[in-house]
Amino acid sequence: MRKTSQEEIKVLLGNVAIARGIVEAGCHVVTSYPGTPSSEIVPAVVELKKELGLNTYIEWSANEKVAYDNALAASLTGKRAAVAMKQVGLNVASDSLMSSAYTGVVGGLVIISCDDPGPHSSQTEQDSRFFAMFAKVPAYDPSTPQEAKEMVKEAFELSETFEIPVVLRPTIRVSHAKQSVKLSPLRVLDREANFEKNPERWAATPKYRLVLHKKLNNTLQKISERFESDTKWNYEVGKSRGASLGIITCSVSFANLVDILEELNLRSAINVLKIGTPYPLPQKRIADFIERHKKVLIIEETDSVIESQIIDKSKVLGRLTGHIPLEGELDPDGIHNILADVLRELGIANLEKVTDSKLDKLVEKVKPLVRKPTLCAGCPERAAFFAIKKALPKAIYASDIGCYTLGLNLKAVDTVLDMGAGITLASGFYQAYHQDKKDIPIVATMGDSTFYHSGTASLLNAVYNNARFILVILDNEITAMTGMQPTPGLGITADGSEGRKIPLKELIKGCGVKWIKTIDPYDVKNLVKLLKEAKEYSQRKDGGIAVIIARHPCIIRFPEVCEESPVEVEITDDCNGCNYCLDFFECPGLYLDEERNVVEIDRNFCVDCGVCIDACPKGAIIPIKK
Amino acid sequence: MNLQIILAGIGGQGILFSSKVFSELGLKMGLEIMGSETHGMSQRGGSVIAHLKLGKFQSPLIRKGAADILYSFEENETYNTLKFLKHGGICFVNLENVDQFNKSIMKFLKEEEVTFRTYDATGAASKIGSIRSANIVLIGYSVGTGLVPFKYEDLKYVLELVSGEKNLKVNLKALELGFQEGKLTGNNP
Repeated sequence: MRKTSQEEIKVLLGNVAIARGIVEAGCHVVTSYPGTPSSEIVPAVVELKKELGLNTYIEWSANEKVAYDNALAASLTGKRAAVAMKQVGLNVASDSLMSSAYTGVVGGLVIISCDDPGPHSSQTEQDSRFFAMFAKVPAYDPSTPQEAKEMVKEAFELSETFEIPVVLRPTIRVSHAKQSVKLSPLRVLDREANFEKNPERWAATPKYRLVLHKKLNNTLQKISERFESDTKWNYEVGKSRGASLGIITCSVSFANLVDILEELNLRSAINVLKIGTPYPLPQKRIADFIERHKKVLIIEETDSVIESQIIDKSKVLGRLTGHIPLEGELDPDGIHNILADVLRELGIANLEKVTDSKLDKLVEKVKPLVRKPTLCAGCPERAAFFAIKKALPKAIYASDIGCYTLGLNLKAVDTVLDMGAGITLASGFYQAYHQDKKDIPIVATMGDSTFYHSGTASLLNAVYNNARFILVILDNEITAMTGMQPTPGLGITADGSEGRKIPLKELIKGCGVKWIKTIDPYDVKNLVKLLKEAKEYSQRKDGGIAVIIARHPCIIRFPEVCEESPVEVEITDDCNGCNYCLDFFECPGLYLDEERNVVEIDRNFCVDCGVCIDACPKGAIIPIKK
Repeated sequence: MNLQIILAGIGGQGILFSSKVFSELGLKMGLEIMGSETHGMSQRGGSVIAHLKLGKFQSPLIRKGAADILYSFEENETYNTLKFLKHGGICFVNLENVDQFNKSIMKFLKEEEVTFRTYDATGAASKIGSIRSANIVLIGYSVGTGLVPFKYEDLKYVLELVSGEKNLKVNLKALELGFQEGKLTGNNP
């Protein structure tokens, strides 16, 4: 990369490069709900807005569907809009995606859906490109941050030219890759909101939907022709006439593959066709490439989107023929081994596979600690889970998505399905048992942000249908897991300006709940008492759903709250190393001194919250008297 | 020059900040940057690893046995990430006492001609009242030893560029401290 001046090249995280692309495209409206690996896009747009004095409207929406619709409306007024989410977020927004594919857009609308092969931080490995195909909208698939930035800009142009929503699908290794990226000048697009009424289109009845569907199919045909002639995102690397094997690849798999071919000196033996527009697939280009090779291997993440669209598969090797793993991330060593197998099978080369080395075996003997994610020392959610487990040890614990999923470690989480399911599964469990005339204790746990995301419909449904359970809302006043995005309870919007605060209690009351108590979970003793009262209420004849708002600010986002009244603790000689605190409180600030068989405090982690005082059955953790 | 660096540790040890330091350093040296970082759930006390490649690369990930330098800010994570180091690579580990480290692995590394250096960066950082700066202390130490192709002045420039106002002073102090210690031990551990 040529470096002309210090300003033109910046090292950017993939998501920050995407944000830059959004701004360079002159986008007017950006909406999102946070989720790994997409969360860094909106904060980067906010930063650019402030730095460059832009008028961009940016919102952290209550959920992904809400985000989608808000962005779509901006597009209908002729403005450019982007909506960002993680791949499972697109499930939530899919209703709008499917429908808007038919009705189309006016200003460019780009959907950024970040996939998580692995999965590193998600409940599924689903491939967003399939969603694009399902909805019949075009998809771009970047392989590097630089490419992602450029693709965003073209996606806006394409969207406007063909009046169709366009998907950009970065995988986690693009979103969280870091690259020296060449910046381009910003584009300022002066556009005033101008919604042109056209009920036939924007409020189309089923009869006219058929017309729109036909139109959509024609549009896709035209886009497919454009992708056929594209050489910016779809191109060949190596044009060796003698090569019998060709590889069709995309996304970060392309980047991994070309480095491996270089390293193994195989560039002249294997030709590569890179596809950056997996849907609609440039069929002629693909067929031509296949025609020129004896066999063609398809390496794509996460699922078989390109492979399944190929019409004549007689020469094709891939997932459908068992040559590529059906699950998991395709890391460089994995691709190396796929290549080794295929080259051997075709008799092209004998490549040694990457296997466990002598070092791996030595390390195995050391048994190094594999660190699983855990709630932070001082996390109020740990206090709440500890109290729940203590008050209602036999309950079914239906939980949800967030930091508090890690309540698993405290054995206080039995189910994690998707956003909002803490409440819906709790009510479903209740009804299934109640049908058998059994009323067992059920505790649902859900974070504040998740509750705003999808808790209200679940809760009012449960109330309306007479379900009985305890709901503990773990209110840390922030979306902690994904990087401290504000919730509607905080009263701050995405760019830091003031929003209208929506108190949880009013919302819960509005769902028809009669029993709502608020408590600081650091007060474990009283929370245990309150949970028992809640259980009593939820099983009383005239009772109902009991909601406890366990409110204490996230100690990472608001450390000052913790520092106000520190409770420094020490461990007395009464500790007999029973491990109860380690197993059921599981704080990084506590560890077992194996030689002395007593628990010690790790001052590197301890934040002096003092909650562990309640976690020792022997009373061996006490506050230091000053 | 092509240089592949692994930064390993646990959430809260400043791995991402260190990755930022090295990428700016690479940029200052006129190199292209490619890399990969851990964000999200693992940051909650889990293992955090950053891959950083300076030079001509397309893939953001470093392969097993390919890294030139490994910085490990925590003993356990060293065992988990040594596999990335190449034959003849260099490794800096934040460790109180080298005797803590597994002997048979040390022997293996010697056979692999790996330069293995340990330094109590946490201890040193606590002396200047900032345990969180152990990452910068260790980086400063590595530059002091002269084993890595980075210059003190460049590192200082980068720290001034990327540190927040609140941390700049302590970061520079940490760099200086580590650098002097590294210089003292030099090429000989």
